[in-house]
Amino acid sequence: MLRFTLERLIGMAITMLLVSLMVFIIMEIPPGDYADRYAFRKYSGTGVNVTEADIQAIRVELGLDKPMIFRYFDWIGGIVLRGDFGQAFAFETSVVKVIGDKVWLTTGILFATLILTYLISIPIGIYAAVRRGSAVDYGLTIFSYLGLALPNFLLALVMLYFANRWFGADIGGLFSAEYRDAPWSLAKVWDMLKHLWLPAVVLAWSAVAYQIQTVRATMSDELNKLSVTAARARGVPERRLLIKYPARLAINPVVSTIGFDVNRIFSELPIVAVVLGLTDLGELLLKAYLDLDMNVAGAILLLLTFAIVFMNFLSDLLLAWLDPRIKLGA
Amino acid sequence: MSRMLTVENLSISFRTDEGVITPVQGVSFHVDQGRTLGLVGESGSGKSVSTKALMRLLPGTASLGADTRMHYTTKDGRVVEIETLANDGEPIRKLRGGEIGMIFQEPMASFSPVYTIGNQMMEAIQLHRPMGRREARSYAVEMLNKVGISNAEARVDQYPHELSGGMRQRAMIALTLSAGPALLIADEPTTALDVTIQAQVLDLMRDLQQELGMGMIFITHDLGVIAQIADDVAVMYLGTIVERGPAREVIRAPQHPYTQGLLAAIPSLDKLHDRLSPVPGDIPSPNARPTGCPFHTRCAQKIAGLCDARPPREIQTQPGRAVRCWLHDDEGRNAA
Repeated sequence: MLRFTLERLIGMAITMLLVSLMVFIIMEIPPGDYADRYAFRKYSGTGVNVTEADIQAIRVELGLDKPMIFRYFDWIGGIVLRGDFGQAFAFETSVVKVIGDKVWLTTGILFATLILTYLISIPIGIYAAVRRGSAVDYGLTIFSYLGLALPNFLLALVMLYFANRWFGADIGGLFSAEYRDAPWSLAKVWDMLKHLWLPAVVLAWSAVAYQIQTVRATMSDELNKLSVTAARARGVPERRLLIKYPARLAINPVVSTIGFDVNRIFSELPIVAVVLGLTDLGELLLKAYLDLDMNVAGAILLLLTFAIVFMNFLSDLLLAWLDPRIKLGA
Repeated sequence: MSRMLTVENLSISFRTDEGVITPVQGVSFHVDQGRTLGLVGESGSGKSVSTKALMRLLPGTASLGADTRMHYTTKDGRVVEIETLANDGEPIRKLRGGEIGMIFQEPMASFSPVYTIGNQMMEAIQLHRPMGRREARSYAVEMLNKVGISNAEARVDQYPHELSGGMRQRAMIALTLSAGPALLIADEPTTALDVTIQAQVLDLMRDLQQELGMGMIFITHDLGVIAQIADDVAVMYLGTIVERGPAREVIRAPQHPYTQGLLAAIPSLDKLHDRLSPVPGDIPSPNARPTGCPFHTRCAQKIAGLCDARPPREIQTQPGRAVRCWLHDDEGRNAA
């Protein structure tokens, strides 16, 4: 197990290195750089004539004149050694300050969504497989199709309406007005949790629908395995039998797609965030791109991919624990 | 020698999309302590389904006939009417494993791949014996030793895929016997094994049966295996028993045309130059069951107008032997 973990860790490090290179190249690709944008914003409409030399001076000041390879090592070195993601040009402060809170909020939404997805879909999928062909099973199947067919943003709007109407809450945003700028406290965390469930439900919706079907299908397969009949023939009580034998293997495909779920949540988050009035990383990423504020964009991209790679690592470890044949290479 | 299991008029029906089919009709047999009953027949003859019914392991779409009686006498002398028990619940769970053990055809598939041999053995032991974890573990090792697994102390912590096919079936036997059953149902336990391993496992099962004094139902399609292991034999065809009797006598002098066909179909080293002689035709599908004698569609000796019209009765031909065939019935002989 230790060796397996180490191997996966090294693999993860290599992946992250390659990803960081790609992110950096993506940061370089758009024509022009922040020096152009800065000069344009500062002097446009003022009547000042900006020369190429002025822009070059800004470039030198911001350190954008050095060759790409130097800037890459500067950038990645700062991140790895000092946790410093560089300067957020448009905000005239450090990237860490700009994205700091939002990283935690996005992480919060991510985990709330994942936990909600698995807490709902795994037991229901197992139940549907055990009661296969019953009215409950058909009902769940219909719900699943609804879940898959309904677009996220629409669901967000509808839920926002009803949450507001029934709970009277100002449900947009992640905090109530009185906590928005307050320092972190238990009360603020509680306030956040009260707001977190809505984006989590919206984002979990389609994943729940999808994973119920996955668990139901694999569980149905597992239930027909001879090993399950054999365990039943040894007198293992039914509930314990279901959990110990078929269910443990039935959640394999769910565990192995945790990384995909993270990816999907990140790509759906920006639009849901806009509808729900959340200030998440996605919105900031879009803005940073428009501003050519590449340090911010790069930091966000890097963090998002890190989250995906890390969750994949986690799902590998979980899979190896669930199915001992994996780490033994059989 | 006491009777431990009496099955009378066992009929099993399944609800399917094409309607109700009844793959087992009016099967009766019994097992005595320390004796082995061989159930023989082709795939689809209802052997496995019948024994699954004994353990109430059939799916929810199956139902037992109203006249079905399955009476089992437990180790402490109680008579359990299995046909009245629910598929799930305390009474049938007590029977499963602890009273009646079952070994399946594929040793790989009957173990869960994600738990060690020891884990699955200890589970069965602790369910049926008053033992703690430590005790159960040493008992598991003892049982593995008993079935001839070397280095049992290490094997007990291995996963099923780390064992060879023959070892796995030995481990499965150890697992099933560790719960202490009085009756063992072995569903083609050697079919998936190499011939040499097959003989070893058969020897092992016979020795253990004698040592523990268990009754056994041995399911196979191979009459050669029956000759080695069974005391009595019941030949099944399309859900009914067509011939029964002491194994040696049935094999030496088969009376039913189907049994004769099965014996003739066994390849022999003495007759290498002859063509194989299979039983002609295919076993009919259970939802297109022939009228009259179920075997008449493949029978070379059928009596037209009788075999295809009326199902034969079971005729006792000698003490302890019976056959369900018009050829052995006075009424049939008169008609021919």
